[in-house]
Amino acid sequence: MSVCRPARCLFAKATASALPKPTPQRSFHSSAPRAARRRRPHYPSIKAEDLKQLSEFAEAEYPKYDTSEFGLLEKQYTPAQIAAIKAAESAIDTRDLVTQASQRTDPWRLPYEDNLAEVDPVTDHPEKLDASHIPGKLSLREANEVERDANIARIASEQLAKMYPDGVPEGQLDPVEQQKLQEAMEAALTQATLDPRSTYTGKNQAAIDTLADPRHSIIAPDLPRLENRMARQTRRLSTEEAEDPRQKRLLQYMGWDKQQLKKIRTKTLVAHGVTNQTRMGKIRSMYYLTIAGNQDGLLGVGEGKSVEPEEGRKQSIMSAIRNMKPVPRYENRTTFGDLERKVGATKVQLFARPPGFGLRAQHLIFELARAAGLQDLAAKTPRSRNKMNVIKATWEALTEQRLPDEIARARGKKLVDVRKVYYGGSVH
Amino acid sequence: MSLVNLAHVCSHLQNASKARLGLTSIPVSKLHVNLVLGLQREGFLSSVTLGGVSPPKPFILQSQPDPEELEHMAQKLKDEPWQAFNVGGGEKTELALGREKIDSVSVPQNPARRRLWLGLKYWNNEPVLKNMKLVSKPTRRIWLTSQDLGKITRTRESSYVKGLTHPGECMFLTTDRGILEARECVERQLGGMALCRVW
Repeated sequence: MSVCRPARCLFAKATASALPKPTPQRSFHSSAPRAARRRRPHYPSIKAEDLKQLSEFAEAEYPKYDTSEFGLLEKQYTPAQIAAIKAAESAIDTRDLVTQASQRTDPWRLPYEDNLAEVDPVTDHPEKLDASHIPGKLSLREANEVERDANIARIASEQLAKMYPDGVPEGQLDPVEQQKLQEAMEAALTQATLDPRSTYTGKNQAAIDTLADPRHSIIAPDLPRLENRMARQTRRLSTEEAEDPRQKRLLQYMGWDKQQLKKIRTKTLVAHGVTNQTRMGKIRSMYYLTIAGNQDGLLGVGEGKSVEPEEGRKQSIMSAIRNMKPVPRYENRTTFGDLERKVGATKVQLFARPPGFGLRAQHLIFELARAAGLQDLAAKTPRSRNKMNVIKATWEALTEQRLPDEIARARGKKLVDVRKVYYGGSVH
Repeated sequence: MSLVNLAHVCSHLQNASKARLGLTSIPVSKLHVNLVLGLQREGFLSSVTLGGVSPPKPFILQSQPDPEELEHMAQKLKDEPWQAFNVGGGEKTELALGREKIDSVSVPQNPARRRLWLGLKYWNNEPVLKNMKLVSKPTRRIWLTSQDLGKITRTRESSYVKGLTHPGECMFLTTDRGILEARECVERQLGGMALCRVW
């Protein structure tokens, strides 16, 4: 470290506190351990009498429904809704409301209660009204100065009345209250000045009122537009959808439903034409090789061949899904050690790599690794790079790995995963 | 110490396990004996027997103790389990548990006719010992320090020797304390000449 230290460090007498203390326990790491965060209790410690006061205050602030109130509720709600209300009432501790909940009291708070944690574009949508909803004439004119001042005063007093429903406090106020009142008045005046009702006026009061009505706002977001060309073209009813007999058979074979099938990713990696020479002549058909994987340790390879291209492709996809086999993964990211597999003249070497290395392999092996959910892998194909054989060799290498446990049992050794001890069992 | 013969042993063991043999023989030398005992210690081989040109009797054909004797031994071991550890010398254990049956193997007088008989292991229809390769070659010996071995056993390359990256891979070295596995050398901070790697 080339940092200048202050001179007093050199001259100061080394006190016991300045001397480096021996580490209290054996350190397993070369670097200094990070200081542990001060442990806090999960609950704040509250004195018994404070708790009692809190309970009393909470009961006063948020009283329980009494029987007469329930009678009123029963007129409005069904028994199921009443039960839900009761359950909700009992689920929330009123003391928590006092200690944790906070209500906004500032002049710019929302006119309704919402913590804005979630916004649903369909349901959280304000009602939108247009000119046809306004009765009477729609013409407005610009207000003159006198009208404008009167409007501002009226609207400001309206806003202030919203903030102080019990009336504006009078007399000598403490500084905090005074400040709050000042702020409220300023806010009310600003809101009134910005309000279009103060600038425009007319004979039709309904038309004037719509100026402040957010439902008439032109900038209010519209409902999500689903009526576009793409939506129209891709929209299909479930009855219209052609039932593929091959897919149906596959689902029966796997014991799956359609949702599970949708989670499988398939990709056709090889497609080429092949010919069969008969005495009638050449019969051309298409060959397809497809991989399928759930990106979480399942990988399959399937082949299909047919005169009809689409038929052959479907064949290969179904066969790939049917052929899916588990791929053992170390820490859900890489292979167990280096693997090697030979198919024909093709040799594929796969190398396990540390976390964050990525998939550095040729595109076919990359696709297979991605479909299997491997994240760190390197590969070499030192000999022939025939596409079909590369895929088959990689698939066989990945699915037929020898696991450490198996190797240990074969050799009659005892194997213990020490990571489970060091990392408190938080390993894959 | 010829590594040519060791190379022959390596390829012979690979071929024998590919052919799924249960028992095979190699020529006898001190190096082979020690290496093979190391392999047995690591669990690659089931048995190592010095014998002649004909194989030793398989375990099933060896004379077994009588069922009553076995029962007696089991009862005795149940009552006095410490007898299993041969406490107080051989005679006492013999007295308590009965005489151990050891099948005698005739070893030829002529050392040239002696062979080392190895029992190969298989698990789940797969040979336990699949690959065995020389690290040092007859024309190029490689000596490794314990620092090198530390890196190699942690799957890193060192001194032009590739790391032990295959699952369950072992490397044997000849040191001044005998033939040892690489991890054992690291533990005891020993270096030596690398012989072969097995996985």
